[in-house]
Amino acid sequence: MDFLGFILTQCLNALSQASVLLFLACGLTLIFGIMRIINFAHGAIFMLGAYVGHTVAVLTGQFWLALIAAPLVVAGVGALFEMFLLSRLYARRDGGAYLMITFGLAIVLSEAVRLIWGAQPKGIDLPEVLTGIVFLLDQPFPVYRLFLIGLGVSASIALWQFLERTRTGLLIRAVSQNPEMVHALGTDIRIVRTGVFALGCGLAAFGGILATPLFGAYLAMGNNVVVDAFVIVIIGGMGSFLGSVIGSIMVGFVQVFGAYYFPSLALSLLYLLMLTVLIVRPGGLLGKEE
Amino acid sequence: MRARGLFILVIAAAAGFGMPHLLPGYLVNIVTEALIFGLFAMSLDLMIGYTRLESFGHAAAYGLGAYASALLLLSFDIPMLIVIPMAAIITGVVAMPIAWVCTRSTGISFAMLTLAFAQLFYASVYQFKDFSGGSDGIAGIARRAGPFGIDFFQSKIGYFYLVLIILILAFLFCRSLVASPFGQVLAGIRENEVKTRTLGYNTRAYRMATVVLAYAFGGLAGALYAPLAGFASPELFFWRLSGMVLIMVIIGGRGTLVGPILGGAVFLFLEHELSALPMVRELWPLIFGSIFIAVILFAPQGLWGLFLSWRDKRRIAVVSKSQTDAPHAAS
Repeated sequence: MDFLGFILTQCLNALSQASVLLFLACGLTLIFGIMRIINFAHGAIFMLGAYVGHTVAVLTGQFWLALIAAPLVVAGVGALFEMFLLSRLYARRDGGAYLMITFGLAIVLSEAVRLIWGAQPKGIDLPEVLTGIVFLLDQPFPVYRLFLIGLGVSASIALWQFLERTRTGLLIRAVSQNPEMVHALGTDIRIVRTGVFALGCGLAAFGGILATPLFGAYLAMGNNVVVDAFVIVIIGGMGSFLGSVIGSIMVGFVQVFGAYYFPSLALSLLYLLMLTVLIVRPGGLLGKEE
Repeated sequence: MRARGLFILVIAAAAGFGMPHLLPGYLVNIVTEALIFGLFAMSLDLMIGYTRLESFGHAAAYGLGAYASALLLLSFDIPMLIVIPMAAIITGVVAMPIAWVCTRSTGISFAMLTLAFAQLFYASVYQFKDFSGGSDGIAGIARRAGPFGIDFFQSKIGYFYLVLIILILAFLFCRSLVASPFGQVLAGIRENEVKTRTLGYNTRAYRMATVVLAYAFGGLAGALYAPLAGFASPELFFWRLSGMVLIMVIIGGRGTLVGPILGGAVFLFLEHELSALPMVRELWPLIFGSIFIAVILFAPQGLWGLFLSWRDKRRIAVVSKSQTDAPHAAS
C-alpha cells in the first residue's frame, strides 16, 4: 500500500510538472506551426509572465487577478514585438534570422527584467483554497499541484476544441498549411500571425505565473526551462499540438522518475530521450519531416 | 588586388606581433582570449556562412577542445604544443558521429539537434564527476614546455604569439578552403542544395565534412582557451555560449571569415573593458542585445559585409567615373 501511494504521488507530481511545461510547449508549437519560427525568447517570456504576475499579486493582493492579468500584458508585449520587429523579416524567408532575432529579444527581455525587478528571487502568496494538503492513499500531496493538473487537462481540452471546432481555429490550421492560399482567399494573415504570436506568448506567461508558487520567480528560470520546452516540441513533432501534449507528459515523467531512480543520469536522460526519438523519427513523434 | 590583400595581412600581422610589447601587461591575456574567441567564431562561420548549416550548439566544439586539452595536460606528460593539435583532432573525431546524426536533417531540426548534443555534453560533465570535476570544472591546467626544450610559449607574451600564429594559419587554411573546388560545392549547397545534388555531388557527405572541420577548428579554439585560463568549466558547453558565438558571426558578417574573427575578438575585448565601468556593466547586455537585433534587421550581411559592399560600390563608382572621363581626356 505504501508503495502504491508512493507511485501515485510520483505520477501526480509528474503530471503537475507536465502541466506547467504544457503551457510553454503549446505556445511554442503554435508559433512554430503558423510562422515556422522557433521562438528562442520563449523562456524569457515565461519569466516575464512570472514577474508581471508577482507585481500584480503584490499590488492587488489577488492571485487570481495575477493569473489573468500577467498573460494579457505579456501577450501585448509579444504582439508589439511581432508587429514592429519580426514582421520585417518575413519577406527574407530565412529561418536563421528568426532564430537569431528571438535570441536577441531573449537577451533584451531578461536584462530588462533584471534591471526592473532586481536580482532577488520573488515569491508569491497563494489564496487559502490552494495552500492545503490532501491525503491520497495515506500520502500527503499539495492541493496546488492537483490544481495544476486540473488546469493542464482543461486547458489542453479547451485549446484542442478551439483549434478543431471554432472558425478561428480553422483559420489558424489553414494558415499553418498554406498561408499564401489563405491570404489569396481574402483573410489578412498578418492579423492571424500577430494573434498567434501573442497567444503563444500569453500561454508561456500563464505557465510562468503557475510555476512561481512552486519555485519562485528568479532570473534563470527562463533559461532553465526553455530547453525543456524545445525538447518537448521536438519530441512531439514541431507544430503538432497533440504531439506537444504527449511530449510534455513524457518529459514530466522522465524528469520526476529519472530524478528518483537514476539521479546521476537525470540531466542527460532528457537529451537521450530526444536524440532517440529524432534518430528513429527525424520529424518527431507526430510531426512531418521537412 | 590580391597583392594588396596580402599587404594588408602582413601589416595586420606585424601590428599583431608588436602588440604585446605596446600593451600594459594585464591586457595581454584579454587580447589573447579575444583572438581565441575570434578563431572560435571563424570556425562557426564555415558552417553558417558557407554552407548554411545553422548550428545552435557550437559550444560543444569549444567545450570538447577545452576539456580534451585540460585532461591531456593534467593526466599525461605531453608537451602543450602537441596537446593542442591533439585536442583539435579529438574534437573532430568526436564530431563524426554527431555530424552523421545532425546532417540527417536540415534547417531548424539541424539547429535543434546540434543544441541537443551540446546540452548532452553539458549534462555529462555533471554526471561523470570523477572524470570531469563536475560543476567545479578542472583547475590548475599547466602550460607544459617542450618538445625539444622549447619554452618560449609558456610565458604570457609567448602564449599570445602562439595563439596569433595559430589564428593566422587557421585563417589562411580556411580562406583557401572556401576558395577551393570543395568550397565552391559548399557555396552550391548554401544557395540551392537540390540543384547541387542533381549535379552529382553527394551533398550530405559535404555537409558532414563541414561539420567535422568546423568542430575541429572550434575544438582548436577551446584547446587554446584551457591553458590560457588554467581552467575548464561546464559553462563552456552551455547553450548561452553557442548563442553568443552565433551572434558574433552574424554581427561580424557571415560568410566572410574576417568578419566573425573581428566580431568575436572585438566583442570579447569590449565586454572585458566595459565591465570595468560600473554604469556600463549594468547596461552592457541590454545594449549589446539591442545592437544585435538592429544588425539582423538593417544589416543582415553583418558589419564586415556592410564594409565590403560599401568598398565595392566605391570601386565601381571610381571605375565608371574614369571611363566617363576618358573620352574627354582624349578629345
